[in-house]
Amino acid sequence: MDPTAAQQTMTRETRLRLGPVPPDPDFADMAEQTWRLLGDRFMLRAAGDHRFHYRRGHGVTVERGEGAIVADEELWLNGSVYAAIACINGLLPIHASAVAHRGRVYAFTGPSGAGKSTLVTALGGHGLPMFCDDTLVLDLEGGAGDGQVACLPGHKRLKLTPEALALTGAVAQERVCADLDKFYAVPPAGDVGAVLPLAALVFLEEGGEEAFLPIAGAERIARLQDDHYTAQLFLAARGLDRGALFAHLAALARRIPMARFVRPRDTARFASGVALAAEYVKSCDSSD
Amino acid sequence: MIAIAKRTEAYTETEIDDEVVLMKLDSGEFFSITGSGRAIWALIDGQRDRAALIAALVAEFDGDAAEIAADVDDFLAQLVDEGLLAAG
Repeated sequence: MDPTAAQQTMTRETRLRLGPVPPDPDFADMAEQTWRLLGDRFMLRAAGDHRFHYRRGHGVTVERGEGAIVADEELWLNGSVYAAIACINGLLPIHASAVAHRGRVYAFTGPSGAGKSTLVTALGGHGLPMFCDDTLVLDLEGGAGDGQVACLPGHKRLKLTPEALALTGAVAQERVCADLDKFYAVPPAGDVGAVLPLAALVFLEEGGEEAFLPIAGAERIARLQDDHYTAQLFLAARGLDRGALFAHLAALARRIPMARFVRPRDTARFASGVALAAEYVKSCDSSD
Repeated sequence: MIAIAKRTEAYTETEIDDEVVLMKLDSGEFFSITGSGRAIWALIDGQRDRAALIAALVAEFDGDAAEIAADVDDFLAQLVDEGLLAAG
């Protein structure tokens, strides 16, 4: 699958219609706020009878039953539903925000609250355009044949907390939703809409002195396995057992350069950390 | 002589960077083999016993037999602890 084909697949497969979800006994007993992925089918039940059904080749059906919170619909569609569709179609979504530099992608990952969105926004102040926020979709078969992993450009708008807005100086737009203290924002250096190869995956960590440290060997496989959000969807979509998943992650780890970015979570040190990250991104390019 | 054999049914194996990485299938735990361990691991073929392993390493690395023997003993003990060797 070439990169354009992957993008076309996602556009086609995420097409949406409103109406009752198809009756399916495999999804009948689901609790609220849960999802289930079976082969090429996926169902997510949000609040009340708000249901999202996807089947490969048939697109997404959204049923706004009793108790549905329509304002949250976009978050579900761009979050778990999008990730599930990507997995079912052979793509690999990971939890990361990324910037682009000279035609390659530098992705920053870490648990929720690690500062992914804040960092990529601030990197915009160093002239690095945003590539994606929160979810990075990898196309493992879409590289240029040189072993590099292709990345699909982001499908979500940038979302920032009030603290992140204050730190980065980004301009807030509307609130994301009533019960979430986050606002949409425009990335300062714009964004990128092209499929690009992944240059590095950087893990955000809290620590004393700012530093970029390499990650090698078994730890690279273990780090990929730690993205539980992705791992669950991916396992369900591929039906892999433990041994097969290990082999898959090892193959992937060999193709993705990784580093740790350790820095203190101290607002007074934020700018120097961002400057170091910008320097890292720009030096990766010049060392090739 | 007691031939030393891997419990191949207990793990899956791959190489990344300069490490051999084993994942134990029962627990999902990783076991990483680097440095001299890699050379020893590569020589464990189900045929060689301890003495043959040491002889092969001495020949390969032109090293001190006593030092190599100590490395082999440490490493084999570790593998036994991890359940990666068949009971000899």
